[in-house]
Amino acid sequence: MRNIKKVIAATAAVATLVGLAACGGGSDNSSNQGDADNAELVFWGWDSGNSMKDIIKGFEKANPGITVKFNNTGTAEKTSTALSNAIAAGNGAPDVVMLEDPTVTQFAVTDGLVDLSEFGADKLADDFAAGPWNKLQYNNKPYALPIDSGPEMFFYNKAVFDKAGVDGESIKTWDDYYEAAKKIRATGSYITNLAGTSNDYQPFTAQVWQAGAQPWKVDGENITINMTKDAGMKKYIQFVQKLIDEDLVDTKTPNWSDDWNRELNDGTIASLTIGAWMPVNLMSGAPDQAGNWRVAQLPQWEEGQEVSAEDGGSALSVVKLSKNQAAAYKFVEYMTHGDGAQEMADTGTFPSLKKILQSDSFTDPTTEGNKKTNDYFGGQNVNEVLSEAAQRPTEKFQYLPYNPFAQSAYGDEVSKAYTKEITLEQALKNYGDKLAKQGEDQGYTVTVK
Amino acid sequence: MSAATMTPAELKAQEKAAKKAEKERQKRVARDEAAERKRAAKTGFSNPANPTRSIGLTIVCAIFAVYCLFPFVYLVINATKTQADFTSTFGLGFGHTFALWDNIVTVFTYQDGIFGRWFVNTILYVVVGAGGATLLAIMGGYALAKFRFPGRNLCFAIIIGAISVPGIALAVPQFLLFAKVGLTNTPWSMIIPSLVSTFGLYLMWIFSDQAVPDELLEAARVDGAGEFRTFFQISLPLLAPGIVTTALFAIVATWNNYFLPLIMLKDADWYPLTIGLNQWKDQASTAGGQAIQNLVITGSLITIIPLVIAFLCLQKYWQSGLAAGAVKE
Amino acid sequence: MSEQTLGAASAQTGLLPEMTSRHTAQARINKHKADWRGWKFMWPFALVFVFVFIIPIVYAIFISFFKKQMIGGTKFVGFENYSRLFVDQQFWSSVWRVALFTIVQVPIMLFLAAAMALALDSMKLHGTKFFRISTFLPYAVPAVVSTMIWGFVYGAKYGLVGSFNDFFGTNLDVLAPDVLLAAIGNINTWEFTGYNMLIFYSSLSTIPHSLYEAASIDGASEWQIVKRIKLPELRGSLAITVIFSIIGSFQLFNEPSILQNMVPGNAITTYYTPNMYAYNLSFSGNQSNYAAALAITMAVITMAIAYAVQLRSMKEQMK
Repeated sequence: MRNIKKVIAATAAVATLVGLAACGGGSDNSSNQGDADNAELVFWGWDSGNSMKDIIKGFEKANPGITVKFNNTGTAEKTSTALSNAIAAGNGAPDVVMLEDPTVTQFAVTDGLVDLSEFGADKLADDFAAGPWNKLQYNNKPYALPIDSGPEMFFYNKAVFDKAGVDGESIKTWDDYYEAAKKIRATGSYITNLAGTSNDYQPFTAQVWQAGAQPWKVDGENITINMTKDAGMKKYIQFVQKLIDEDLVDTKTPNWSDDWNRELNDGTIASLTIGAWMPVNLMSGAPDQAGNWRVAQLPQWEEGQEVSAEDGGSALSVVKLSKNQAAAYKFVEYMTHGDGAQEMADTGTFPSLKKILQSDSFTDPTTEGNKKTNDYFGGQNVNEVLSEAAQRPTEKFQYLPYNPFAQSAYGDEVSKAYTKEITLEQALKNYGDKLAKQGEDQGYTVTVK
Repeated sequence: MSAATMTPAELKAQEKAAKKAEKERQKRVARDEAAERKRAAKTGFSNPANPTRSIGLTIVCAIFAVYCLFPFVYLVINATKTQADFTSTFGLGFGHTFALWDNIVTVFTYQDGIFGRWFVNTILYVVVGAGGATLLAIMGGYALAKFRFPGRNLCFAIIIGAISVPGIALAVPQFLLFAKVGLTNTPWSMIIPSLVSTFGLYLMWIFSDQAVPDELLEAARVDGAGEFRTFFQISLPLLAPGIVTTALFAIVATWNNYFLPLIMLKDADWYPLTIGLNQWKDQASTAGGQAIQNLVITGSLITIIPLVIAFLCLQKYWQSGLAAGAVKE
Repeated sequence: MSEQTLGAASAQTGLLPEMTSRHTAQARINKHKADWRGWKFMWPFALVFVFVFIIPIVYAIFISFFKKQMIGGTKFVGFENYSRLFVDQQFWSSVWRVALFTIVQVPIMLFLAAAMALALDSMKLHGTKFFRISTFLPYAVPAVVSTMIWGFVYGAKYGLVGSFNDFFGTNLDVLAPDVLLAAIGNINTWEFTGYNMLIFYSSLSTIPHSLYEAASIDGASEWQIVKRIKLPELRGSLAITVIFSIIGSFQLFNEPSILQNMVPGNAITTYYTPNMYAYNLSFSGNQSNYAAALAITMAVITMAIAYAVQLRSMKEQMK
């Protein structure tokens, strides 16, 4: 008994200590700009082009007082998890972090990132394509600068389309797409896969975004959720439900699974609507279809429209815990707006800087990188098509401040429509309710329409 | 015992004799049993539990062995494929090109040869982490078996309770604690958690209980030897088989440790193999990322090989060590 | 799962020595002089254990009484998280799922392990050494890799199941929601049967052969020897393996979460197992306080079941 008392006393003591320590990790707002020319920066991000080290060398050469340590944190999800852990701990956070666009708001809301207009980033607005730029604003202030972007494109396998007697170039609207889907299904293939897993969340947001839908609206501490009654959402639900009911889409294959690559590779999946960064993934994931894939502009909801949307894309932010914010911003600027941006584009990252999108070298079919891609796409000038899409107008679209939850809950709820347990409308309604509950749990005032 | 009336020299001699006798006896028993087994296996005579080998039973076990081994066949076959063959050819068939050597070379050269670095890290974590875990488990197990110290009984309850808490939910508190002390993103954040092998503690406790006779310890103490001298000179040698077993389990646990380093380490230079391979695997599902499943498969195969060698080398010790834990009175 | 099961193995710590009454008796003789000396050896383990386990657990208990919101910050809420958990259907559905998993998978795995151990011990096999190592080998494979391999085997389109379907014209899908749990159970069985087999096997090899001889002189049949001598011998190790298998399957995480990306639809939700639920709550749901309450509750449930089973096996021992 004596022992138990001792243990309880010790436990209580430890609890107090831990509690105190944990509460001390908040961010104070004092200026942590540091010396803009002398700093040792830590940079977390992922490195899809395997080119980060070289680009950093370029930066260090141009800024002799600053060194950058790059930690490859693997994936977007792991990076944002690690960042929230480090912010909670109050130390060990990087100076610069790469984030997927939708998660930027979350960290901005919780005061984890620096408002980059402090460094004049707001003046760069016109230099970037509108889609990626708009996603990174919170309270009309930029909290990150786009490092790559993903205007939603229509990729299709011409060999399969030809077999079905469909001309991919002539698909201009979603109605055309639906007609094509029927013909392709008749040959045994599917026009695309839709499984409603959490990996399909981003294409989902892109598609409803293009439809002009506002499934949720965030206004300070108020959130309005309108998952099924919004006009754009109605359009979307009706269309997709038709595809599911008539078995025109493969509902069993989730994006990014090994099966997905195999189906892209053997022609079972004949097209994708996905971000402009897809060519690299197609080339390594579907090698047998070299020469067969083509890219075109996204089908439109109304004939004659030219509306685009964003799928994916990432950005660089300065972390509030950084003691070298000025130098960190210098690095961010170099990577997104300066010479680094050009190098990133040269190694296959899809740019969001208008200057690059419009440059001759970007669409020059004779450069080594472009030649490789164009060969895979049967000689098509791929970047020309992508560049056009990137400069198309987009509607304003906001992500929820609790985007990671929105993404994982999407898989739990919406997939039920694709396994045909319930209708898509019902699934999205349940999804909306879940988002509303989470919003309330997080202290927001939520209205469900 | 009439220890009080003996001189230290006599005592020492007696102890030595006892030790020697015990050792000899154990040797004899082991020899006899081995011989007996051998004889049983050969002649099928002295083992009453039917010594003749059964083809039928062997076939049944072979089916089970196939179940255990065929996933390795998949691993080996796919390690010989290029990335293109990996996505385009059947999983258990060979690819168009035999790329095993290329894959091995690429595994070790990809991203400036970082795989080698991960390999060295893993070995460091295993040597320091699993080695330390073994030492701590030996000492702790020995203490639990041979001393009745205050708080001893509480140890059991606390350890059971602690490991019942889902490890996932502890990861964040653990991370926060390590971050406070400034240990995250250093090898220590990988090594310190590896130092706790509760299974090893249990094993060593049982083993000490049985392998180290109390009489021997008493004799040494009366002789005036300190606790640590007694431990190192008398107990440790007797514990050797148990130590090997504990070490082996600690090695496997550290080698395959995944979740905690994932949270603790952000610097790829300090990754262990499991994290590194998983990062390579994720590359296939990253926007704009290059799929390198062939390297993931080949890397996994390379990762398993050292463990297989460790098993093969240590399997003879293995039984006796674990056996102690399972013996019923 | 491997780290957790390894840790879980030590659940046994509380069990065996209490049963080995002889040593306890000896210990009592020593008691008056033992005092604090044990800590000389115990402190390094205890120190690291406190740092790695106890403080984080205490912290988890502490934060389970708070609620942190994106708007409004952190506030003390008493037992609110626990009462919410009590009516959380997602949580209970995950608990029932792992309970079902445990009830079915653990006996199958332990039966296979025991059967294999008996077969190896019978000395009737050709190539005992080969079988021993091949049964144990799967344990060496990291869960990440083994799930990848089994994902291929299960694939209804491109995997082995797919080839089977093509060949026999069947339409099997082992990743369909209603059989998925069994598919995961198979992965776990593959991974851990050898591990448990070895524990059984080594306990069998401690039986002195004189016992068999005596039995055979008495005219016991082979089956009787198994029943009267070998199976009772397995009871002690059975208690260990049962308890750590229970803790292991209650903490099921790796296999379902890696399979999640290979399985269509919502067959594997983010709250498929309690551990996955805790993970998603704290890493994507921004609800680490609620996740902490969940973890503590799970620990209490797991301990209660482990103790209940332990009690039963101890009673059996006394028969």
